[in-house]
Amino acid sequence: MALTTYVEAIRQGIWEEMEKDERVFVLGEDVGIYGGAFKVTAGMLERFGEWRIIDTPISESGIVGAAIGAALMGMRPVAEMQFADFISCAFDQITNFAAKCRYRWGAGVPIVVRGPSGGGVHGGPFHSQNPEMYFVHTPGLKVVCPATAYDAKGLIKAAIRDPDPVIYFEHKFLYRRVKEDLPADDFVVPIGKAAIRRLGTDITVVTYGAMLYIALDAAKELEKEGIDLEVLDLRSLLPFDKEAVIESVKKTNKVILLHEDTQIGGFAGELAAIISEEAFEYLDGPIRRITAPDTPVPYSPPLEEFFLPKVSDVVRVAHELYAY
Amino acid sequence: MKSNILARDAVPPITLPPAKTILDMLYYMKLTRELEFRIERKLYRQGKIVGGVYVGRGQEAIAVGSCIELRQDDVVCPSHRDMGAFLIRGMTLRTILAQYMARKTGASKGREGNMHMGDLSKNLIAFVSMLGDNVPVAAGIGLSFKMRGQDRVALCFFGDGATSRGDWHEGINMASVFKVPVVFICNNNQYAYSTPLERQMAVENVADRAQAYGLPGEIVDGNDILAVWDASTRAIETARAGKGPTLIECKTFRMTGHSAHDDAGYVPPELFEFWEERDPINRFEQFLTERGLISKPGIDDMQQRISHEIDEAILAAEKDPFPEPGDCLKDVYYEET
Amino acid sequence: MAETKVIMPQMGESIFEGTITKWLKKKGDRIERDEALFEISTDKIDSEIPSPASGVVQDILVKEGQTVQINTVVAVIGDGSAKPAAEAPPAKEPAQEAPKMKEGPAPGGGGPVPGVEEETEAEESPLDEGVRSSPLVRRIAKERGIDVSALAGKGTGINGRITKRDILSYIEQGGKAAQPSVSPPQSGGAARSAGLVNQTPPSPPPMKFTGEVERVPLTAMRKAIAEHMVMSRKTSAHVTTLFEVDCSHIVKAKEKQQAEFQRSGVKLTVTPFFVQAAANALKRFPVVNSSLDGDTVVYKRPINIGIAVNLEWGLIVPVIKNADEKNLFGLAKAVNDIGERARNKKLTPEDVKDGTFTITNPGQYGGLAGTPIINQPQVAIMGMGGIKKRAVVIDDAIAIRPMIMLSLSFDHRVIDGAVADQFMADIQKQLENWQS
Repeated sequence: MALTTYVEAIRQGIWEEMEKDERVFVLGEDVGIYGGAFKVTAGMLERFGEWRIIDTPISESGIVGAAIGAALMGMRPVAEMQFADFISCAFDQITNFAAKCRYRWGAGVPIVVRGPSGGGVHGGPFHSQNPEMYFVHTPGLKVVCPATAYDAKGLIKAAIRDPDPVIYFEHKFLYRRVKEDLPADDFVVPIGKAAIRRLGTDITVVTYGAMLYIALDAAKELEKEGIDLEVLDLRSLLPFDKEAVIESVKKTNKVILLHEDTQIGGFAGELAAIISEEAFEYLDGPIRRITAPDTPVPYSPPLEEFFLPKVSDVVRVAHELYAY
Repeated sequence: MKSNILARDAVPPITLPPAKTILDMLYYMKLTRELEFRIERKLYRQGKIVGGVYVGRGQEAIAVGSCIELRQDDVVCPSHRDMGAFLIRGMTLRTILAQYMARKTGASKGREGNMHMGDLSKNLIAFVSMLGDNVPVAAGIGLSFKMRGQDRVALCFFGDGATSRGDWHEGINMASVFKVPVVFICNNNQYAYSTPLERQMAVENVADRAQAYGLPGEIVDGNDILAVWDASTRAIETARAGKGPTLIECKTFRMTGHSAHDDAGYVPPELFEFWEERDPINRFEQFLTERGLISKPGIDDMQQRISHEIDEAILAAEKDPFPEPGDCLKDVYYEET
Repeated sequence: MAETKVIMPQMGESIFEGTITKWLKKKGDRIERDEALFEISTDKIDSEIPSPASGVVQDILVKEGQTVQINTVVAVIGDGSAKPAAEAPPAKEPAQEAPKMKEGPAPGGGGPVPGVEEETEAEESPLDEGVRSSPLVRRIAKERGIDVSALAGKGTGINGRITKRDILSYIEQGGKAAQPSVSPPQSGGAARSAGLVNQTPPSPPPMKFTGEVERVPLTAMRKAIAEHMVMSRKTSAHVTTLFEVDCSHIVKAKEKQQAEFQRSGVKLTVTPFFVQAAANALKRFPVVNSSLDGDTVVYKRPINIGIAVNLEWGLIVPVIKNADEKNLFGLAKAVNDIGERARNKKLTPEDVKDGTFTITNPGQYGGLAGTPIINQPQVAIMGMGGIKKRAVVIDDAIAIRPMIMLSLSFDHRVIDGAVADQFMADIQKQLENWQS
């Protein structure tokens, strides 16, 4: 049975939803004839036609605004941001229109805004960002970040089916590097639930996105030294699985928060506060964070390598925390 | 100065709408005027309304003339000076006044203020304060009609100021590229807060922009309800027939300050005088009485009826409860009931 | 009878107190509204304060020189009919201390604050003493009725912290639960709290180094130096300003005159040039040649420049008296003389007395510049860095010049930055325009 790549999993998820539900459609730049900059929508134009795979002008605000309008009329649009970095052009429509409709006048806006985020591909400042926190900070939105092919498919389905606006960040580094055997039948990954990727006893690493693999690689190395990491993949940031995090921290009593996003205002800060508030007496050591530094994402390979958290960072911090 | 130019005067000869429609037009304009008068000059100054109040005094013909003959399944995206649209689409006086007075029974359950209201069941889309944002949304609404092969039409309202925003341009462009069944109506009242037209745009008319985006633009005397009605009816038919969007610019004037706490001292008084003479309600009343379509006592009756309806609605809304403090936390997300 | 209270005004948002520097009227004097009544001084400006009302100065409640908080009533204007109030007790001095230090950790051992950033080693908190553990360990201990201090010294965590493993194995090995009446040990946390700057600082924590050591007591001289250094830092408001000086002129002068001086038995180094420049500058900026005695600046007439000499057994500062009355030759001779006698331990108490300014040479081993500590009771000290040839820009072209970094540490209680910089600029100008 052929392994399905992460990008193919997303494509399958959208495709299957479009087959099932005629309200679902895709709009964005180069999604139709070109099949999408990363080929997420390859083949869809031929199958579904130009009124369901819509090539738009370069107009993120227009794309998301139109998606909102269509969603208000009962459709289920999937708006693509060619690179997640460009989502900032639609910030107003997402945070002020889509996020607040239900609260203000009881109207749900079931849109999905998805795009490839993250670095490690020499993309430089505008093709490598992790913009999730702008949206995690906006009540009314949901934000998901799958790390496995299974979750990529399960979460895109969940997002499309969700009655509220969902921002779906797919990590471009994982597109073709991550492969998995996927079940043939329909499955959905619930939004707001984390997954334990590795059971352990000594230190919990909470992470999401591409950093999952950094954590797992570090765990393999540390295993040889007798340090046993538990690795928790959040999968959703808003809502997020607080119970899973607290439960794991209560078990291991030491925690490392790892994300590729920059430090200030990053999700690790939020988690650190919550862990301190709700599991203070279960901590046998300080809460540690491993994140990118507070800079734009640089381009030159030695700079980007410095920027991105590495396996050696996790190993080093784990050593320190273990010895504490 | 552009402000005292009327691009086109009232347009006879046109085929008049049916008699009932004509009376409805007058009724809704007068209802709008009286309602906003009570809101701005009475309730707000009595402290019964808090926050901001923005009225569309002198511009009533635009929303009323364009919305009066819409189908129930057509969609309206109003802006902040289109109270007539809310009334025509069926929002009750009680709901509107409760909204203004921040009650739980208001259109937004107290979550929003003044005319930031919407109701999907009435196909009324609530606007956001980032004016111009409703343009791409309207384009998407029209797109959904096309996708589903429906002959519904959407109306999208905005003022002169909103046409400076990027979202306005992106939305008009999208609408035109996809030839969606939307009628874009600009309420050009010539001032955006204290910013006069010549500081807002370098073009002479908002409608001049239509050509840049490849859709037809039309200029209309916004204070002549029949002219508004005529232009919008044609544009609605065009849209419904699948021939794409139109941009209608209604020339009018803002007869008040930007909000209830703005005295518009920056507007030259001659302008107010000029436009007072062109008050849409007075003009229409005169037009109708001259043609024997309504009598003076008939107009007074209508006014009394309107006053009475509003009195009752105010009294009822005043007794409505405020929302519970804990209501703050609800309805952020879909909740299974 | 009408009375108007006169208050200490707030001269700026961040200002919270002011000092009355001068009363322009006395009790019983007549004053008009808006007429100047008193002068104040605040952190930032001095100001003349006008009277809020006309009348007679009925009471003066705050003396000249006193500092009070804003909005304090400092005087009362009456209409002349009332008897002056009895002398009000002086307004309380506002607390001058820095905001109170945080309370030490709760008894039972201090744990590190959760959320501490990535550091390569856990910092030893100065508030910790005795038993360090963690919130988890304390909870386990509490639940089991265990006294954490029973594990004192047995912690396997960093810096002897009691870890989860430690307490769990203690429990496993049948560690006894404490008697309920035993009170938790004083970790010293409570005693640490609320340190006021005016009090003597708490004694530093006992050294916890666990490797091999050799203990050597201080010599008397070393002890004296140690005490002087700390005292000087506590006394003066030390600021150091740095000036880079082009030494090409003085180097040239030195080379030119070396031979001649040598014939008279005097070795010429660059030091006398700096002494002369300093002496001249001190004449022009007498405040740098002063001392602060309580609230009084004491300007000294003689210019006695001390030269710090580094010896194997310590540091000594012999003084060249009346340095401004000597020429270059005289200074060179004096510098050599005190240096030689210092090395041969032939200095007298007279030699180290009455210095008014000090020059030191932190650059003698090649350093760029130093931040010397003022030699009390003086108010300034100049450090000479190493002279190094460097590429500098002159007239938009690159030239090679011998450059020195001079540092002046000065007492900001008496000398402001502007004056210090002007003083140094004067020295720089002299050195850079030295005629040989």
